[in-house]
Amino acid sequence: VIAPTIAMTSLRRTVRDRTSLFFLIVLPVLIIVLVGSSVQDEDRFAVGLLDQGDDRLATELVADLEAAPSVELRRFDDLDALRLAIRRSELAAGVLVPSGLEEDVRAGRTAAVGLLSQPASTSGLAAEQAVRAALAERSAVVSAAAFTAAEVGGEPADHLVSATRAAEVAEPLTVTTTVQGESRFLPLGFTYSSATMLVLFVFVNAVAGGGMVIQNRRLGLYERMLAGPVTTRGVIVGEATTYLLLALLQSALIVGVGAALFEVDWGDPVAATALILVWSAVGAAAGMLSGTLLRTVEQAGAIGPVVGIALGMLGGCMWLLEIVPPVMQTIGHLVPHGWAVDSWIDLLSRDGGLADIAPALGVLAGFALAFGGLAAHRLRAQLAA
Amino acid sequence: VGAVLLIAAKDLRQRLRDRSAVVLGFVAPLAIAFLMSSAFGGAQDLHVDLGVVDEDGGPLAAALTEVLGSPGLDDLLGVSERDRADADEAVDDGDLDVALVIPEGFSAAVTAGQAAELEVVAGVDSPLSAAVVRSVAESFLTQVQATRVAVATAVGAGAPAGEIEALAERASSAPPQLPVEARDLGGRELDLISYYAPGMAIFFALFGIGFTARSWFTEQREGTLDRMAAAPIHPRAVLAGKALSVLVYGTASLGTAAVVTSLAFGAHWGPPAAVVALIVAVAVAVVALTALVISLSRTEQQAEGLSSVLTFAFALLGGSFVFLGMAPEALRRAALLTPNGWALRGFTDLATGAAASSVVTPVAAILAFSVVVAGLAALAARRRALP
Repeated sequence: VIAPTIAMTSLRRTVRDRTSLFFLIVLPVLIIVLVGSSVQDEDRFAVGLLDQGDDRLATELVADLEAAPSVELRRFDDLDALRLAIRRSELAAGVLVPSGLEEDVRAGRTAAVGLLSQPASTSGLAAEQAVRAALAERSAVVSAAAFTAAEVGGEPADHLVSATRAAEVAEPLTVTTTVQGESRFLPLGFTYSSATMLVLFVFVNAVAGGGMVIQNRRLGLYERMLAGPVTTRGVIVGEATTYLLLALLQSALIVGVGAALFEVDWGDPVAATALILVWSAVGAAAGMLSGTLLRTVEQAGAIGPVVGIALGMLGGCMWLLEIVPPVMQTIGHLVPHGWAVDSWIDLLSRDGGLADIAPALGVLAGFALAFGGLAAHRLRAQLAA
Repeated sequence: VGAVLLIAAKDLRQRLRDRSAVVLGFVAPLAIAFLMSSAFGGAQDLHVDLGVVDEDGGPLAAALTEVLGSPGLDDLLGVSERDRADADEAVDDGDLDVALVIPEGFSAAVTAGQAAELEVVAGVDSPLSAAVVRSVAESFLTQVQATRVAVATAVGAGAPAGEIEALAERASSAPPQLPVEARDLGGRELDLISYYAPGMAIFFALFGIGFTARSWFTEQREGTLDRMAAAPIHPRAVLAGKALSVLVYGTASLGTAAVVTSLAFGAHWGPPAAVVALIVAVAVAVVALTALVISLSRTEQQAEGLSSVLTFAFALLGGSFVFLGMAPEALRRAALLTPNGWALRGFTDLATGAAASSVVTPVAAILAFSVVVAGLAALAARRRALP
């Protein structure tokens, strides 16, 4: 009976503190906005254009690029600026349309369109292919006209109209892609995603929030509570409930804002809810534990983020464990994060349900119990002292 | 000057005695860099294991297989011939990254001027490999299509229709007009460690704001500030001494991260002079932000709260956690409202091969930010009649 009162009082104190409000509300929203809007549209690429063309052929090529559905064209005036934007990943590729194209073609000289892209990046390669496809027809027409002029006589320009028609009626030659197998990655690839940021920050915040326990201890709040008709167990349960509610509130914000603003898919609702509940319990228990292990509020504020981020990196929150060596994968599963991220991959990439993530949930519940048990034990000892 | 140095040295000694400050300033960035390098140490150049399923057996299938096995693609593609069932299974198991299926009747359809398609079968986790193979296959088809258009145009203009094969041969060997040529991008590729090493180092350097602001209020409470004020030292010397200690702490923290991650973990920071300029600029920004936090806070708790809010807000907006290169322009602009956003842009440019002179703008921007923040701090301090 006393635990809810303690939890409500602690919650009210947290909500009145502007700093806590920032970490509780502003930070998760900021995170989801950053991640949500940084996710690329996979079928559309930002392509920079340096257009030095001065004739009709160049105009037609640029029009072809503009008409390509997967190319989002941005114009540049300067080659260095274009290169820099590609290196900064602001563009997937860049196209250079030179001057004097038509004259070169007429004189039988090879006139090339330049293409710049990040080597060995999926978006760079795909953007490059989109650009090549957009320009292929014009190139085929010009080549056909030149070839015909060489074969049957006349000027290339004389054959342009018939070559254009031949290109228009030509049946398409295409490459289809079939994807198969079960994914070991999140849908967005192996960098970051809303789900892994949820795992990371709920934990970081909970551990940093361990300062609450320390402050209560320092202010003598527990002693005053225990002076009343309150059991040690009541105090511990009340504190744990507070941490759990805070973690849940934060998760709800991240999930809600992500779904509402960025159409983030969180997978099977039942399984996702279970996972969030269990993860919040892990976070709450870790927060309590840090509160009983550390001595000062400063330590909690300083060590909390470091430990949280380090464990997040180990467990695959900043990059997925699929890309790291086997030893690091094993280490990643010695911390709870690895299991949480695994479960999200199950839910989001393989349409998994509660049954699929049940074993991982079991492991996470074990972590929560272990952290929570240790925290309760230490808190009890501290309360008794 | 002697007093300034004395105060700075005292503050630094205090900082080094505080385990939290040492952990955040030196241990944390290195530990995290170590985690990153052990995660990516095994990263290698891209190599695609490709299975070719030739159900066609015609001349075009042979031509395509020859292209895939050509010496230029040797390093990139490891080609083996498979049958369909075998290829599917191998892709499922991850033995093959990608399979390319040339369907029955492909050559005949192409020669007859009909539509035709190639199929890329990709493992769900090999998007880059799939993109590579797709790219090669599409280039091949583009060339084939160009040949078909050339032959059709020539025949339409009166070339002998009976010699289509010879025509196609000549058309395909004629150099293409208006080819698309890949140009060298220059510079180097941005690897994760070269992005996150400075990103994380700056994030942890920002924690210096909190330490110093807190120690200011501790000294106020314990009377150290009063005793210094009573000594024959100008109040400005006290401030200068404290600022100097923050500057040194920030520079040392970032500098250690730069040296150790470069030497031990292969992070590429760039030309030393440029890196030093950026690091010192960031440390100056930390000094200015510390002054602002002190001037705006009344208690230790307020200072603590305000500095952690600033630290996390800046770290997130500036891109320490989420790479902002592909973010919409509004977010990339927002990052440039933070000193660490500018610094990361500077470091990213250096890491991708920009010249040392490229840091002039970021350094100027960070210093301008610091001047504005310091001005705000001075205003706030005057209103509150702080020294």
